[in-house]
Amino acid sequence: MPTQHVDLPQGTLDLLILRTLALGPQHGWGISERVQQISSDVLRIQQGSLYPALHRLERKGWIKPRWGTSENNRRAKFYELTKSGHRQLEVEQDAWKKLTAAVAQVLGTA
Amino acid sequence: MLSDLFFRIRSLFRRNAVETELDDELRFHFEQQLAKYINSGLTPREALRRARIDFGGLDQVKEECREARGVYMMETLFQDIRYGLRMLRKSPAFTAVALLTLALGIGANTAIFSVVYGVLLRPLPYHDPAGLIVLHETTPKVGIVSVSYPNFLDWRAQSHMFSKLAAVETVEFNLAGVDPAGADQPENISGAVVSSDFLSMLGVRPMLGRNFDASQDQAGTAPVVLLSYPLWQSHFGGALNVLGRTVALNGRGFTIIGVLPPDFRWIEKTDVLEPIGLRANAPDFHERGDRGDVVVLGRLAPGVRFAQARAEMEGIAARLEKAYPFSNDQFGVALQPIRDVFVSDLRPAILVLSGAAIFVLLIACANVANLFLMRGAGRTKEIALRIAVGASRSRIIHQILVESFVLAFLGGLLSLALAFAGIRGMIRLIPTDMLAGANMSLNGAVLLFTCGVVVLCTFVFGLAPASQSTRPDVQSELKESGRAMSAGVGQGRLRDILAIAEVSLALILLVGAGLMMKSLYRLLSVDPGFRPDRVLTMNMNLRTAQYAKDPAILNFWQRVLDQVHQLPGVEAAALGTVVPLTGNHSRNDITLEGMALPKPGSFPHPDVHLVSPGYAGTLGIPLQRGREFTDADTENAPPVAMINTALARQFFARQDPVGKRFMFGHPSTERAPKWITIVGVAGDTKLYGLANPARLEVYLPFRQDASSEMTLIVKSGIEPAALASSVRYAIASIDKDQPVFGIATMRQLVNDSVSTRRITLILLGVFGALALLLGAIGIYGVLAYSVAQRTHEIGIRMALGARREDVVRMVLAQGAKIAGAGVLIGIVASFGLTRLMTKLLFSVSPADPATFSAVAIVLGLVALLASYIPARRTLRVAPMIALRHE
Repeated sequence: MPTQHVDLPQGTLDLLILRTLALGPQHGWGISERVQQISSDVLRIQQGSLYPALHRLERKGWIKPRWGTSENNRRAKFYELTKSGHRQLEVEQDAWKKLTAAVAQVLGTA
Repeated sequence: MLSDLFFRIRSLFRRNAVETELDDELRFHFEQQLAKYINSGLTPREALRRARIDFGGLDQVKEECREARGVYMMETLFQDIRYGLRMLRKSPAFTAVALLTLALGIGANTAIFSVVYGVLLRPLPYHDPAGLIVLHETTPKVGIVSVSYPNFLDWRAQSHMFSKLAAVETVEFNLAGVDPAGADQPENISGAVVSSDFLSMLGVRPMLGRNFDASQDQAGTAPVVLLSYPLWQSHFGGALNVLGRTVALNGRGFTIIGVLPPDFRWIEKTDVLEPIGLRANAPDFHERGDRGDVVVLGRLAPGVRFAQARAEMEGIAARLEKAYPFSNDQFGVALQPIRDVFVSDLRPAILVLSGAAIFVLLIACANVANLFLMRGAGRTKEIALRIAVGASRSRIIHQILVESFVLAFLGGLLSLALAFAGIRGMIRLIPTDMLAGANMSLNGAVLLFTCGVVVLCTFVFGLAPASQSTRPDVQSELKESGRAMSAGVGQGRLRDILAIAEVSLALILLVGAGLMMKSLYRLLSVDPGFRPDRVLTMNMNLRTAQYAKDPAILNFWQRVLDQVHQLPGVEAAALGTVVPLTGNHSRNDITLEGMALPKPGSFPHPDVHLVSPGYAGTLGIPLQRGREFTDADTENAPPVAMINTALARQFFARQDPVGKRFMFGHPSTERAPKWITIVGVAGDTKLYGLANPARLEVYLPFRQDASSEMTLIVKSGIEPAALASSVRYAIASIDKDQPVFGIATMRQLVNDSVSTRRITLILLGVFGALALLLGAIGIYGVLAYSVAQRTHEIGIRMALGARREDVVRMVLAQGAKIAGAGVLIGIVASFGLTRLMTKLLFSVSPADPATFSAVAIVLGLVALLASYIPARRTLRVAPMIALRHE
């Protein structure tokens, strides 16, 4: 049976990016690969939404770009979490947990 | 917020770098993805295809990234500014009219605000001015009066609400001998004698030298002086070595111990400060009933409120009144925050003028909004088209607002030139003594205000066209402007409303100006009680030691009279203490022989003039009964006096006052009364302003009560100002060190006494004229545009047989409707608003029907004229051409 892809719910992209970067600096491609890997191929990030999201997060000051070299020795733009990014991640994680718990509760009782 | 702005700006300026980085970043991703597919065993072709599908539209991704970075908003702002400038260049006539209108409106406000700021808002150059209180005494007979020095000492001893109280006496000095060569003319300068606490209470420190100390409050202190910065500059060239030098004041050497800072101000012009100990032996510092020129400055103790201090002072004054009934009967105390003392005269005028300036601005904005609407009408098709192909409404409103801002900003720049000229004009109009050292200029605060006005204007005249342009639904707009039938109904109504608003605002301003004009006319037609024509006045004050004794004083005055009488061109000359309209006269209680004695505070309290023979004749004060003084009324002759009509009427209702006697002061068992016989009755004069009622007056012959301070009045057969130098020369030949000051014609003095009203009238008149002009342009614009839009319709009407008069009447009727509605609204609003200027009016009701109707008629005529020009244009419409129009 092929892996079933799930569409990302609104607003979760930022959370996924921040969470992934919390593990260490990563470039855009790396982020999408990592998310796909960890979610066992369930979640896939469209490039068309990944890069605008990265630039938006950069503007908000939650992540910071730095040019570095990739595993295969190519010049690549790495992003890392800033201090306020860490704080934001906690806020969003909390919110997400509350949301899923609440949704689960509703589904459980219905 | 701020960091976000920096981010956007950086994105904007590093645009190329950011673009390259974006390219690199996306290419890296693409290549990684491609490599991944190839590694997983796909053919290169298939891998490339899959990678491309994954990626989606590259340009779209880039676009979204740019948007996410916020590059757009800044970039579109610059685009819109460029676009706005291009639009303004494209229609130079529109731009010129709009810019000029705005510059006038904004300039008027900037100029008036510079006065508001300088006089009302600028913080006084004192430490914590909110805690500074100025104290006077009050009496029901006169109102606010100076403080008696012994009372001040008691206040200071008994008050706890003030941490400090200082006495300040205004004095004037003869200044001579600054120039060692003696080449300088003697001068009269003003100064203050102050308690040693005075400067430290204000938080003012001398910029050079030192302040007075407490020992200098005591009698017998050495003569020392602090110079004001302007005097230091003008007379000592700003030399640093002035400290220790002496300067001759009233012929006595004073050691300079310091220089005041440049921003020092006091209520009166102050050239020098002296310590109060120097005056401690003066009689008015010991006689409680002798009130000189002292005001008291108080600093509230920490935590004390104004009302508490007032309550305490009123208690102290009541106790003093009981303790000293003869000097203090009915004397109370008045407290004013120091700010009020500085502005009271000009305040009502300034507030009215600020309101007027705002009206001018509103009219200007309405005019520009109308211009925008008319031009916008030509653009509705363009805008509708842009909305149709997907431009967002907010984007279009943004662009129109930016265009308005560009216009407002340029108008604001232009207005600064106008404001600069306006401020200089106003400074020339306002007598310097009314400004109490306030200065008006285009300073930072004023520029900030102008910026605020520019932004406000942007929205006031930009929002209407902006919302209007995007409101109508695209379909009908595209259809309607396809054919040039008539203007869109909504737009036409908005334009009419704006024109009506302009007319009503203009009416309010014109009514205000009309009321002021009538007041001033009425005021200047008041009989001052004297004839001001061809009379020259000048002051002299004999302060040097050689005039210590009465005979020396009398001798000097007699020689002045003799010399001046002989000058060619002199018809009459006389001396008097303080001519009408120029200042405070000395007053004294009198007791009339045989009258029932009133209680101590209720004795008649006339103004007392000391005058030479011929005074009444020279000033043209009519003699009602008896005689004027003659050369025979000398110090050795029996004491005589003249009284004025008001005194005669009040106390000698049915009797002839001539031959009756009175004495100064109150009857006392200790002294024999010194009776003075009344020999004549003179007409009443307006001593304290044309608007004020006559007061009781007594005239004494100058030889019977020598005064060291006199005003010389000269009636001439020629232009009086031309006599000034020969009179000065004659006086210098008697005493070359005697300053002559305050040289003015009586006519000037009359004009100066109404200067607040005159300034208000001139400025209101200018604003009213501007408003009228702008309002007329407004009506003209609306009608001209509507005629142009209706050419087609007019053509049809005429083709169907309408006569030319009918068409002209139709346009005139539209103008009349606008003007009529504007006048009606304006009249209703004026009834409410002119009441605010009651304080500035004189014997004119704020709802004066004559003024209202005159203004309404003038406005109506101007509106008619403004409508007639576009109406005539219809006459030139040839039906055939009109029908083919477009």
